[in-house]
Amino acid sequence: MKKALVTSLLIIAAIPMLIAVAALPRHGALDTPVQTGISAHYLEFGVEEAGAENIVTDVILNYRGFDTEFEVTVIFTSLAAVLALLLGASTAGATLSRPGSGVRPSVVVRFVVRLLAPFTAMFAIYVILNGHVSPGGGFQGGAVLGALFITLTVVLGGARVAGAFPEASRRWLQIAAPLTFAVAGVAGVLLTGFYLGYPTEVGLHWLRTFMIIAIEIGIGVGGAAIIATLFIVMEAE
Amino acid sequence: MLEALWHNLDYAASVVLFLIGLYIVIAKNNLIKKFLGLNIMETAVFSFIVALGVVDGGDAPIMGQGAHPPFTSPVPQALILTGIVVAVSTTALALTLIIRIYQLNGTVEADELREME
Amino acid sequence: MSTAFDITLLLLLIATALAVARLKDLLAAAVVFSTYSLVMCLLWLHRGAPDVAMTEAAVGAGVTTVLFLIAIGRTTRREK
Repeated sequence: MKKALVTSLLIIAAIPMLIAVAALPRHGALDTPVQTGISAHYLEFGVEEAGAENIVTDVILNYRGFDTEFEVTVIFTSLAAVLALLLGASTAGATLSRPGSGVRPSVVVRFVVRLLAPFTAMFAIYVILNGHVSPGGGFQGGAVLGALFITLTVVLGGARVAGAFPEASRRWLQIAAPLTFAVAGVAGVLLTGFYLGYPTEVGLHWLRTFMIIAIEIGIGVGGAAIIATLFIVMEAE
Repeated sequence: MLEALWHNLDYAASVVLFLIGLYIVIAKNNLIKKFLGLNIMETAVFSFIVALGVVDGGDAPIMGQGAHPPFTSPVPQALILTGIVVAVSTTALALTLIIRIYQLNGTVEADELREME
Repeated sequence: MSTAFDITLLLLLIATALAVARLKDLLAAAVVFSTYSLVMCLLWLHRGAPDVAMTEAAVGAGVTTVLFLIAIGRTTRREK
């Protein structure tokens, strides 16, 4: 009864949505406001003004840099909340024990993961560093590196993977992304007088590219650390 | 109108996916299943916004050798990159909350939790 | 040819979303959700958005699915 009611309400709701969608400009047309507005300016002047050949990296790190700064703050905040929920919980309130997790992966999985780990790490670093000339960038490479740490945790155990990083450095790695943005912001204040402002003289193209690569490395390392910590904490606590 | 809908097939598919996700959130009982539905809604919205910037025969917006206009618009793609990262952050936090709810109450079904109060 | 590929991808998206709604086994639903994320990545790649596709593949089919599997492993596996 409830499902039939919900289904019929959603079908009634679908009709105005589909009418609205049909009234939009044709998908793929060249004269829509999306194509002729600010996008045309970014595509034409982006490489020279912003310092990267991948225009999407230009937009997220230079033209719309504040959005990216608060995005990395959001993922760091969610990590802080997850750590607060799982590590600070008193075991008196937990009435159910964890299901058995003592199953080790098979020998084939362990061997292949340990064999492929260095190549995967190198590919992740390549994606991070090449984000300004090819598809890729900071968070993509960071997610691949984080996924590598997840598979290593499944195979080797969380204690050994977390033990590879000294205790004092773990917090610095997790906060690497917002910290890099803060440093770049202060550098922008010193160079141009605006927070996160890139120098706009024509001859300083190398400085803009350098700032973009530095921020990409910060986002990559921070994203990988956050993803790996999320997995280790959620799986073991 | 059907002709216009056929030209905008990407947008119509995003609407249908959004409504499927909304059905899962409203009509299913299990908290984890509700959260899968929320993720489907999020990716449907991302697909709609990326499809707004697509051009016929458009390349990826990367300048280099061999890149020729027309290009797909880069602004919606930048918006969606931030959106995907925020989606994974909320997924991590919500699943942690579901794990804590299970540890404290023994169930993750919404109607049983409502009875329990 | 390109239109047939488009329509196949869109139908596959809707089919996997419906499968996630119908499956009672949550582990199977999480795996099918990973497939949905992969098909979405292919659609975006076909449309000329490689950055978004790479992020969705790494994050959606990778990290989100792993987090769901952890949550399912620590709570119930079947929905009532």
